Amino acid sequence: MNRIAGASATMATTAVLVAGILGAAAAQDLTLAISMRSLSNPYHATFAKGGENFAKSVGLPFEVLVTEGNSEKGLADIRALIARTNGNVCINVDPNDSPDAKTIVDEAKAAGAYVVTQWNKPNDLHPWDHNPNYVAHMSFSGIGTSKEITNALIDAMGGSGGIVALGGILSNVPAIERKLGMEQAVAETGGKVEILDFQPADWNETKAFEIMQAWLTRYGDDIKGVWAANDSMGVGALEALRQEGKAGAVPVVGIDGTDAALVAVEAGEMAGTVAWDPNWTGGMGLSLCHAAATGAIDIASEPQEHREFYGTGIVVTPANIEEFRNRDASFDYNDYWAKSTGQIQYQ
Amino acid sequence: MAINWRAMAPVGVFALLCVVITIFNPNFLSISNAIRILNASAIPVVLVMGATFVILTGSIDLSVEGIVALCAVVTASLVLNDTTSANLGLFAVPLAILAGGVVGGVNGASHVYFRIPSFMATLGIGFVCIGIATAALGGFPVRISDRAFRVLTLGRTLGLPNGIWLAAGSVFVAWTIQQRTRLGRYVYAIGTDEVTARQCGVPVDRTRVLVFMMAGLFSGLAGAMAAAQLGQGHALIASGRLFTTITAVVVGGTALSGGVGSVLNSVVGVLIVIVLTNGMVLMGVPPFVQQGVQGFLIIVAVSLALDRRQLQIVK
Repeated sequence: MNRIAGASATMATTAVLVAGILGAAAAQDLTLAISMRSLSNPYHATFAKGGENFAKSVGLPFEVLVTEGNSEKGLADIRALIARTNGNVCINVDPNDSPDAKTIVDEAKAAGAYVVTQWNKPNDLHPWDHNPNYVAHMSFSGIGTSKEITNALIDAMGGSGGIVALGGILSNVPAIERKLGMEQAVAETGGKVEILDFQPADWNETKAFEIMQAWLTRYGDDIKGVWAANDSMGVGALEALRQEGKAGAVPVVGIDGTDAALVAVEAGEMAGTVAWDPNWTGGMGLSLCHAAATGAIDIASEPQEHREFYGTGIVVTPANIEEFRNRDASFDYNDYWAKSTGQIQYQ
Repeated sequence: MAINWRAMAPVGVFALLCVVITIFNPNFLSISNAIRILNASAIPVVLVMGATFVILTGSIDLSVEGIVALCAVVTASLVLNDTTSANLGLFAVPLAILAGGVVGGVNGASHVYFRIPSFMATLGIGFVCIGIATAALGGFPVRISDRAFRVLTLGRTLGLPNGIWLAAGSVFVAWTIQQRTRLGRYVYAIGTDEVTARQCGVPVDRTRVLVFMMAGLFSGLAGAMAAAQLGQGHALIASGRLFTTITAVVVGGTALSGGVGSVLNSVVGVLIVIVLTNGMVLMGVPPFVQQGVQGFLIIVAVSLALDRRQLQIVK
């Protein structure tokens, strides 16, 4: 008898303890998290830093999840985080691949977590169809900015001549959009500018270096300008030109606004780049998510242009680089859409 | 001794490629293009010098990208740059090579003494290297501002970019080790039949560690060259190098099973891989088709280069 009584007493104590732990878990702070491909590249490192800065400003715990380019790992980490926090979490995620966004949104919705996505999602997945858990999707206009930077290249070439173009991984959405923008800008010159060749260099600087070398053999001095879908490839092409003593003689443009590219723009070796604002996407994505989760804004009643919107890409050329360097990059966490440049358009 | 035609097969493939590309675009044969091809081959050649020895022993080194990236970051951080206050100039190069050698030694030691298959040991160490490079820099590149240091690859001696001379020097060193030293003989003995080699008194364990260390030293030099060539060091600077390296060694006719091959074969292997990339652009092969053609030609090259009748088991 005593034994049974002892056992039930132990069980009761355990039950109280368990209930206590669960209660504590339910009352714990909201967790803020960022998920992206890797910390090894400047864009995502800055993106994570932006999220961390916001978390500090509100004094909440912050976590960084890294997919390492593996969708399965990315999803498993997010699932684990949602389970561990009982859904009491805000996640600002740059999905490894577009279809991942759907799974992430479903998991978040089921657990009551809040999600903001960046760059990649299927075109038919919309935040307003998953109120209130799918807070927003943020991106940058690939076509529009690519057109602008291509025009900067054409200006640097004096308005006419042949260009060679380095593309990203053929199946990536930004690669497709940036190529389209470049082609539109070239078409608008009415034949004055010609695309001599287009080669995908898979966002990789070494590959861009080798392709640029082959182009120098094939086209030689007919190359009046080099277009690259990102700065890594732009810098790779620039270094191939430098090897031949042509750095600065043939204008090169890239996209992303990496440090190496900005320095090259400053030195007059690159004709321009587009600077995204990963510090803003990282911080503002979480801020918006946090506001929706805490009820500071009623996200379901916000208009569609507040749910899917483009950020601001700044075209940086030798003419405005000093202004760009001295700009005020700070922003107000509570002014959610101040830097939005319109609702996302689907082609 | 009769000429071993099989061993000459990679040279034949290379010559055939050159002829075909020249028919489509005569510019291929210009001196400036030859220099460009050699220049693009420089870093891969340095890498295959180490990788060939590892593969000759029947092991594999998958840490190439990690070591190159780490050493590129070490180099970039030791010369005049925008992140640290160091300014060692060209003295950074031996230090980078040394760093590569240390990591290579760790590869060899964990493979031999902890009995971890080289595949896993080097894969793991490679990730650790990229991890260190990422953590040390927080994901950002170190930009080299030392123009004098970049002479390492940008400068020219006797009309050829210095990178080509470094690669030629590496080939000379590797070939000498292969042909003229006991270590070179041991490598073939181990690759052909490790059990017999051990019974004959070949210091198998020590040789294996040395071979991985050597691969690390060459990767270290390649890292310094990559930093000089691109003017920066970052964790992803070597992405894609591993595939080129292993492909070049195998296309050159060195068997992944060990014991058969040579560092000179691997030089031809690198030239085949680089000329293919160069030729695709010169011939105007559509990008969508390129990868398929490349994969097909690599299989053809390997099947010609390896005398498969001698292989009892293909894994």
